[in-house]
Amino acid sequence: MATVEERVKAITAGVLKLSPDEIKLDDSFTADLGAESVQSIELVAMFEEEFGIEMDEDAALSVQSVGEAIEFITEVCREQGVEIEE
Amino acid sequence: MGKAKKKHRLIDAKKPNLLDEIFPYSMPPTIRLEGPVVEYIDGEPVEFDFGAVKDRPILISDTTFRDGQQARPPYTIEQMVHIYDLLSRLSGPNGVIRQTEFFLYTKNDRETLDRCQALGHTYPECTGWIRAVVGDFRLVKEAGLKETGMLTSCSDYHIFHKLKFRSRKECMDSYCEVVDAAFEAGVRPRCHLEDLTRADIEGFVLPFVDRLMAMSQQVPEEQSVKIRLCDTMGFGISYPGAELPRSIPKLIYKLNRECGVPSDRLEWHGHNDFHKVHSNAATAWLYGCDFINTTLFGFGERTGNPPLEGAIFEYIALKGDLCGIDTLAITELADYMRSIGLPIPDNYPFAGRAFNTTRAGIHAGGLRQDEQIYNIFDTAALLGRPPRVAITDKSGADGVAHWVNEFFGLKGDDRINKIRIHKLARWVIDQYDVEGRLTAISDQELEVKAEEFFPDYWEKYKG
Repeated sequence: MATVEERVKAITAGVLKLSPDEIKLDDSFTADLGAESVQSIELVAMFEEEFGIEMDEDAALSVQSVGEAIEFITEVCREQGVEIEE
Repeated sequence: MGKAKKKHRLIDAKKPNLLDEIFPYSMPPTIRLEGPVVEYIDGEPVEFDFGAVKDRPILISDTTFRDGQQARPPYTIEQMVHIYDLLSRLSGPNGVIRQTEFFLYTKNDRETLDRCQALGHTYPECTGWIRAVVGDFRLVKEAGLKETGMLTSCSDYHIFHKLKFRSRKECMDSYCEVVDAAFEAGVRPRCHLEDLTRADIEGFVLPFVDRLMAMSQQVPEEQSVKIRLCDTMGFGISYPGAELPRSIPKLIYKLNRECGVPSDRLEWHGHNDFHKVHSNAATAWLYGCDFINTTLFGFGERTGNPPLEGAIFEYIALKGDLCGIDTLAITELADYMRSIGLPIPDNYPFAGRAFNTTRAGIHAGGLRQDEQIYNIFDTAALLGRPPRVAITDKSGADGVAHWVNEFFGLKGDDRINKIRIHKLARWVIDQYDVEGRLTAISDQELEVKAEEFFPDYWEKYKG
């Protein structure tokens, strides 16, 4: 199974039409990767689908960077009993 | 200049102060007035107590069927009877819309009046409108009306250039002859001082009104002359310091306190040529005119008259109470007027299709969190019109989410969040970014997509 980081980067690359190699952990979704408002919503929706979790809307949308997203998703997976490869 | 006069200290708070007394939301915002207002008239300070309006018997009159109809092809009898019926509902049991006036010249005019009266409504009372011609009182008598408006134009534009009188005295004598004929016929005359805001107030208007007041001494109070202040060209000015003949405060003061016309016999009739029509009418109420004359949706000659529905909400705001008014009738009237071809602009206050529709995504975001942030009052309760979001490229996910929740009628925890509407939000953005669209997306288009993207909700709420 791929790690959370690999899966988050793959989703992000798909939604924002980038190569996974270009994405760094401290990249901001909006400032560095160019995510627009609707793309931010799409990212959250895709993460939920990918990991089979449900995230709080406001909390999920306040996540700024790729690294924070990995931490946030890892935490939600733990809370919701979803198995992941860290 | 530029030097601060007073320091203002931050009053920190951990809870919001939403000023509920002024903005109760369940009602239109109240208008609270404080202290006397001073106007200098003939060099002397004169005080006006605006706060008294809360307890004064201010009222609304209507001229939808007269001035409102002069500006359009005639209504059918059925249309007018239906509108009158709805006006009565809007007016409520206290008769806030106290009177409405009718032409009396044609067979249709007369049949309309008879059928409206046959409905048996107490309010609005039916009054007539005639030229200042002695013979026309026969029409008023035959119609069984107690009161009629009559044209008594008072600017020299009208006296000399339109009516071709040789002198002001000849004009005044002619008008007074008609007023006498009204008295003899047992009809209360309502003298319409046409073009008042362009007239010689001291030289003609006040002497004429003095004479009308003297003539009124001969008849019972209920037959005494009423005065309609007609701002025929929309020249009236509401703010203090303006000069006669355009100053509304001074005009009302002169008629009310110098000529002694009681407030309940003064009525303001405005026009919107300078975008001042509603404020001018409200000003007339405050300075001592008990009646303001209006038309539905402001529709009237040229730029129109004070809008009736605007006066209704001003009335509620000044009184701090609905006073029995059925505000939902405004929406019914708007729907009906549109159905018979009266154009109401989409952004027209209280009645336009989009009067409480926001297009900006950032506003939609506010609406989604709390509709009070971007809605003027509880428009769903008072007008049957919840706030809406129109979807464009500026709507954002917040706007789309608001639209979806309103469409399915979802409240509280049942509301769908932004994340769940991402497919529809993407479709909207692509309409503009990919398809090059330049127009707003219609409700019909969105409904098709709502069925596609939210089949479970569609089945539950629309199936």
